[in-house]
Amino acid sequence: MSFLKFIIKNPFRRKTSATLAIVGIAIGIIVIVALGGITDGLINTFEDTIHAGGADFSISGKETGDSAYGTNTIDASWTDKIANVTGVDEAYPIYVVLTSVGDKYMKSLIGVEPKGITLADISIKEGRIFKDNANELVIGDIYAEDNDYKIGDTIEVDGEDFEVVGIIETGDQSMASGVFTSISKVGELMDDEDSISNIYVKVDKGADAQEVADRIDEKYGDDLKTITSIMEMEQMAKMLNMLQGSTWAISLLAIFVGGLGIINTMLMSVFERTREIGVLKAVGWSNTKILTMIVGESLVITIISAIIGSIIGYLACILLGPQIGISPLFTPKIFIQAFIIAIIVGVIGGLYPAIKAIKLPPTEALRYE
Amino acid sequence: MNAVEIKDLYKSYENGKIKALNGIDLTIKEGEFVSIIGPSGSGKSTLLNMLGALDSPDSGVIKVAGKDLTSDKKLNQFRAEKIGFIFQLHNLIPNVSARENIEIPMYTQKISSSDMKERALKLLEDVGLPDKADILPNKLSGGERQRVAIARALANSPSIILADEPTGSLDSKTSSKILKQLIDLHEDKNVTLIIVTHDMNVAKLSDKVIEVLDGEIISPYENNSLINNKINV
Repeated sequence: MSFLKFIIKNPFRRKTSATLAIVGIAIGIIVIVALGGITDGLINTFEDTIHAGGADFSISGKETGDSAYGTNTIDASWTDKIANVTGVDEAYPIYVVLTSVGDKYMKSLIGVEPKGITLADISIKEGRIFKDNANELVIGDIYAEDNDYKIGDTIEVDGEDFEVVGIIETGDQSMASGVFTSISKVGELMDDEDSISNIYVKVDKGADAQEVADRIDEKYGDDLKTITSIMEMEQMAKMLNMLQGSTWAISLLAIFVGGLGIINTMLMSVFERTREIGVLKAVGWSNTKILTMIVGESLVITIISAIIGSIIGYLACILLGPQIGISPLFTPKIFIQAFIIAIIVGVIGGLYPAIKAIKLPPTEALRYE
Repeated sequence: MNAVEIKDLYKSYENGKIKALNGIDLTIKEGEFVSIIGPSGSGKSTLLNMLGALDSPDSGVIKVAGKDLTSDKKLNQFRAEKIGFIFQLHNLIPNVSARENIEIPMYTQKISSSDMKERALKLLEDVGLPDKADILPNKLSGGERQRVAIARALANSPSIILADEPTGSLDSKTSSKILKQLIDLHEDKNVTLIIVTHDMNVAKLSDKVIEVLDGEIISPYENNSLINNKINV
């Protein structure tokens, strides 16, 4: 029997106590994994929203409200000017108009360059992208599902028939409920081909979006504003910090409670095995070996807890998240974090009882009844 | 060569109120079978603990298997390599099998798992329990448990076995069986055997009997006739 096997066997001598310790720590790990998944899911949704489909920020006219889809217009020539600002990688226009779509008297019709929709963080679920200036629509999956539209269906837009050629999939709720066609088609429908609503900006790789936005504000602040994204960025940053802070606070609480649980379990275990520890000393085990054994036993409990907690936390989020309108996002980081916490709790929880055990004089330990 | 050399050994507890060992001088030759007798509280177990480097003296010199226990460090290594302990209660670990209990002292040595297993099985054979390898201690009889404990004491081929009342918790029939086995192993493996006992029948089988009273050796008997006289008196 290897030393490792001996360590793995030991915690299960007292099955009830080990099970209770595992349950206690697993609850902490469930909290850490579930909150991590929910927080990351929310961050992901916020980022999708703030980046307005892949862009780092958006620009609208000075008089437009703070909405990302401002309905006031600016001149289309601003797109090229913005594209030439240092730090801007891509600038693409969006033209949002309110018009009759299907049985809705007023609905936003979003005009995008076909390239613009490709740049956005959107994937085509079915079909294809609309052709430029054609009576073709791409619709969000939520809109399609709500209205029972599928590829090939015809939707009347502003009195003209449009064919649904594609259905998109995106984490952004507003995009998933949207109706898209080419910007040139929207211009034609509105009889105004020189206007656009917003310019979406993607900054150069490695460039600071905030700095680029400041630069645009400085240069064209009299006519345009980047306020939408900047305000949202600041608010989101604060909100995300708060969310992450809360997750960490709850995680720390879980660590503390779990740590107390494991210290208690291991102290009981050492106490009950006092004579046995005396025997191990008598047969020549070093203090390091005894310490390794006890900390190892504690780690066995916490690692099992981490496995069980991670599975339950993951399944609970995946099954319950959509019911409450949250799309959790699980990255390896969450599970690595949970395991690191479990290992830290295991080491700390085992260390104190182990130190108590090695300080025990062997003659006293052997006399223990 | 001497297995044990003790000179002027003192040990007291509770700030000197209890004098457990009061100037012990003792020499034990390699391969000898020695019994330490005396009433409860006389200091015999303290002496045994000193020999096994489980406790340290207040003063004096104690050399066991050539190692000066008062000055040398790494006493756990010394215990692992040179000493085999047998206790009154078997003190086996309950959740591992008889074989695995015998392997426990071997964790202190650099031995592969397969070698550990092989050595433990051989020792189980030596103590007459070849078919009990995978049995948990609670499924063994009292005598069988003590035989496993003897095998565990021999796990690292020690030069000295220290036994504290090894038959104290067994019935007389099992007790004499265990004792015979212990003596046979001591002779076969040429191991120095030091037993603390109350049982004069155990003592009379040994080469030398050390009688301890109030922390002092009052009479070492060098041969069986003297001990027999003592028993008869």
